[in-house]
Amino acid sequence: MRYTINTPEGTRDRLFTECQERRQVQARLTRLFRQRGFLEVSTPETEFYDLFALSGSAIAQERMIKVWDPSGKFCVMRPDSTTPIARVAATKRKAVPLPQRLYYDQTVYRSNPAHNGGSREIPQCGVELIGARGKKADVEIIVTAIDALRSCGAPKFQVELGHAGFFRELAGRLELAEDAVEEMRRLIEGKNFAALNDFLEPHRGNPACAALERLSRLFGGAEVLTQAERLAGKTPAVDYLAELYDELSAAGYGQYIRFDLGMVHQIDYYTGVVFRGYVEGAGDAVLSGGRYDNLVGAFGREAQATGFAVDVDAVARTLPEITPPVLRTIVHYEPGYLAQALEAVDGRPAGTSELSPCRTLESSLNLARDKGAEAVLVFDKDGERTVRV
Amino acid sequence: MSERLKIAITKGRLLDKSVELFEAAGLDCAPIRDPGRRLVHSLPNYPLDAVLAKAPDVITYVEHGVCDMGIVGKDTILEKGGSFYEVLDLGFGRCRFALAVRQGSDFYGTYKTRRIASKYPEVTRTFFEKKGMDVDIIKIEGSVELAPILNLTDAIVDIVETGATLKANGLVPIEDVAQVSARLIVNTASMKLYKAEIEDFIARCEAELERREHD
Repeated sequence: MRYTINTPEGTRDRLFTECQERRQVQARLTRLFRQRGFLEVSTPETEFYDLFALSGSAIAQERMIKVWDPSGKFCVMRPDSTTPIARVAATKRKAVPLPQRLYYDQTVYRSNPAHNGGSREIPQCGVELIGARGKKADVEIIVTAIDALRSCGAPKFQVELGHAGFFRELAGRLELAEDAVEEMRRLIEGKNFAALNDFLEPHRGNPACAALERLSRLFGGAEVLTQAERLAGKTPAVDYLAELYDELSAAGYGQYIRFDLGMVHQIDYYTGVVFRGYVEGAGDAVLSGGRYDNLVGAFGREAQATGFAVDVDAVARTLPEITPPVLRTIVHYEPGYLAQALEAVDGRPAGTSELSPCRTLESSLNLARDKGAEAVLVFDKDGERTVRV
Repeated sequence: MSERLKIAITKGRLLDKSVELFEAAGLDCAPIRDPGRRLVHSLPNYPLDAVLAKAPDVITYVEHGVCDMGIVGKDTILEKGGSFYEVLDLGFGRCRFALAVRQGSDFYGTYKTRRIASKYPEVTRTFFEKKGMDVDIIKIEGSVELAPILNLTDAIVDIVETGATLKANGLVPIEDVAQVSARLIVNTASMKLYKAEIEDFIARCEAELERREHD
């Protein structure tokens, strides 16, 4: 049974500053969310598999971690937080009048291929604005995403906007079969320029082709929107993104905004604006979100919704490491002097002093030596004195 | 240009061809040609650092974002998968995946579950999954041709360049599984954060590839 002293692949122990670095990000994010009127909800660690499978969750079955409830029903460890929160919003009608701002600070669980260094346990902080449609709701969620990354202290970051409707409209002009649309979507998502060209070759006559061919390259600053209009003509999706950009720029957020019209992931799930946040130092997006107007309805209460989630550890890894406090003082006290000793510990910066559990001063001095402390502070009948180690 | 990009290049034949391409595109690759004991090779006239790695490791480094770009064969991409942008077909390292059987055997003419040997179990699985066919896949690490000769399997799925090895062992390719060539891949975050730098590098490669096409 030797293996039982190791943790399973994809899980880990976190010690000291590793915990602090995670907590710091969570604290900064949730403070912002509460400030903006979002209320915290927490949902079960395990829920029925069908909740995610039948509501069109984007998480593949093989990436969910399976467990069973006491009756033998098939459950999974929460693979994402938006689906359970949509369930809450749809079913707790009295407690959740719409529109509603909700936030969460909880872990999602996803299994990874072996030996890829990924974690099965991903702490996320996120918000959902449920029961609100339109530009103001989208703008609010996007500025909250930008402020979320800013509040974490990320030195260089950007939030990239796309729109599910743009790809749908262009794909519609080609009149392809469903699986061909899916193949094209995959090529655009993977920015597979060469294969996309080959795929579009038989459709050269169609004017939508030029735009689709360039779609995976349509990312960058606001000039992307002009290029898109030149290629595809006026479209509601690009017009909408331009309106959002004007609004965001007027509020001073323009510098953080980029566009990627080739952002076509989870195209059946997202119904409007989609976005991702990138931070220098992280090898993948650390924030992901968008508008999903059909999910809540799947649980029996129609409600348009938008939101995002932040990968807490991914953000934490890009921030400067926290330096642990250095222990300077061991506090030794004789019976009857606990109150004074505690006052001395509580009056110093956290982690720089601690009570000695030793009975004799000599043992406390040895302890101080072992732990590298500079001094032992003694409380006894003679009052308070410092003994250098 | 502010940022120095890092690229992982697959060692071996793809490396020679990559260096040829870079040099034709105006990049001084002397540090790669004469690596000495260094592991990271900084190009003197372009903001690019190169590391050399085995093919699957190229994908690993790019996926984790410790390298911004990579050059790797489509065979490895198909087998290993992963999340990155596959932006250019570099045109060299061309070969194909083929399904090959013993000369004279009728692979599809039976209801029995076929057995396939391959170094590429994922490529094999996807190929037969698309056909809606159940097969047993046995992973072989060395010369795959041995498996049907020893009667372990009915067929193989493997990389074919000239077909000479197959022929010498009494095997014939009966179907193409996929075309393979070297690809330029890019980390998803790097593509966004260092757009200008990466687009410049892609454009230089593209220009050279286009020139070759017209030669």
